[in-house]
Amino acid sequence: MDEMLNIALPKGRLGDRVYEIFERAGYACPELGDPGRRLVFEAKDSGVRYFFVKPSDVAIYVERGAADIGVAGKDILLEYRPEVYELLDLGVGRCRMCVCGRPGFIDDPSSVLRVATKFVRIARDYYAGLSRSIDIIHLNGSIELAPLLGLSDVIVDIVETGVTLRENGLAPLAEVCGISARLIANRVSCKFKYDAVTELTERLKNVLEDKG
Amino acid sequence: MPDTIFGRDFSGSIPATLKELFESRGYTRYRMGKFEEYDLYAKNRSFITGSSILTFTDTDGRLMALKPDVTLSLIKNTVPGDALRKVYYAESVYRARDAASGFAEIPQAGLECIGELDLYSVCEVISLAAGSLGTINERYILDLSHMGLLSGVLEDLEAPQGLREELLRLAGEKNSHEARSLWLGGGGSARGFELFNKLMRLRAPLREGVEQAEAMGLGPRASAALAELRDISGVLGTDRGLWLDPSLLADPRYYNGVVMRGYLPGASSAVLSGGRYDGLMRRMKRGAGAMGFALYMDVISRLLPRKRGLDADVLVLHRGGGAAELEKYVEELTSSGLRVRVDRAKPEGLCFGRVVIFDGEGPRNG
Repeated sequence: MDEMLNIALPKGRLGDRVYEIFERAGYACPELGDPGRRLVFEAKDSGVRYFFVKPSDVAIYVERGAADIGVAGKDILLEYRPEVYELLDLGVGRCRMCVCGRPGFIDDPSSVLRVATKFVRIARDYYAGLSRSIDIIHLNGSIELAPLLGLSDVIVDIVETGVTLRENGLAPLAEVCGISARLIANRVSCKFKYDAVTELTERLKNVLEDKG
Repeated sequence: MPDTIFGRDFSGSIPATLKELFESRGYTRYRMGKFEEYDLYAKNRSFITGSSILTFTDTDGRLMALKPDVTLSLIKNTVPGDALRKVYYAESVYRARDAASGFAEIPQAGLECIGELDLYSVCEVISLAAGSLGTINERYILDLSHMGLLSGVLEDLEAPQGLREELLRLAGEKNSHEARSLWLGGGGSARGFELFNKLMRLRAPLREGVEQAEAMGLGPRASAALAELRDISGVLGTDRGLWLDPSLLADPRYYNGVVMRGYLPGASSAVLSGGRYDGLMRRMKRGAGAMGFALYMDVISRLLPRKRGLDADVLVLHRGGGAAELEKYVEELTSSGLRVRVDRAKPEGLCFGRVVIFDGEGPRNG
């Protein structure tokens, strides 16, 4: 069995910020200084191997054991519910999952609420918790358009700064949950690479606490 | 039937090594039909976790299902008596694992011990679970826990009833950070959370783990659950790949005592799952206890090296000559126990012990 820890990080800005935390925890990878077109980067001294994948795919890599460890947004974990351990809240990539609509929108409980979203499960669970009947409209992008064109009454989406919402005449109406990047681990890796996974988790935790 | 542990097809067969292991403790084979009345699953829907069921209407109008599970049928066909019912099985079940994947035929092997279980019977099932994993890879891990351990801590600490289910779910994910927020937000004490957190994060070889948990100063309910695990570790000793992982949980409506999950190096998920399910027996109005486990043979088969055998011992390339002479030649070979394939050309992807050319001048090696 491969004794290196395989780590899946999300591509892009979030991945860069997360890698900084790993680097400060002692898991630096000099190969990342000159990435070229490579997809896999090894740091033999630290016993880790990094690869960068689409953020929404990190959880799949970890759940299926291609990666022992990964960093995924809480939105992905709530939506797809992969069978993984969630070991740490890394506190980066913070944003909110919100119900958004036209400012002053008043929900009429006598009719079914039309909700457009990319996050079908999160939206369904949220409204089930409120015992509210909804009609889910699954969209893959430009969610803000839906209430503007009368496709839906509200949307459930991630809100970072709120600028896109404001520019489209929308506003957050209710918060569904907070979102941030989470350290996740494959359940089998946590058994067979227990010491390495535990040490990495503790070292990351120490970095986060120092920062805090 | 050949031992298929080194192949990939387990449907309807059981590896000889497992069969020998189960039969060495007097377990007998249980065979079941493919169909069951759907009503059985409708009443115990959540026992068949997260899966859809294939149904059809029988000729007499009854709604039937292709069996998605073995245990429920087995219990249904069990009349409790003084003696234990000890059976093993190797059957295909049919279900969709989740909404995204279609229905699949899933080969499963396992065993069940049904009746008034004592410490010996429980240990025997655990020992057979460990032994099953050991026949596949000696580096297996079998995690054990007890359904009353973490939930006992919550009861002993009088954690708010409404939060207990969510706290246990978070414990199952080893999600300390959200469990902490939930606990403290619900008015629980920081000290109480530390105990819960320490126990849910505990992971150690069984005997060592039990000692560590005992040193935590658990309350009466959690201690009672821990005592059962201590008794088990006393019987089974330390060399069986048994670990204590209190975060391991199962559905409390069915499972009530020891629960276990098995892992093999190289698999991405558990390959064995089981435990004591007196709760399910009660729901099905069978006045006895029960314990068993299932091995996910589809996952296990992916881990094993593929030992490709010969597709036939002799390939006879028919290039000419009469059919009667050829038939006579093939008959000679097959009567001496060889498997023979006659073809015009060598088939792609198939393996043969030797090739013979038959072209009217008698057979010769190709």
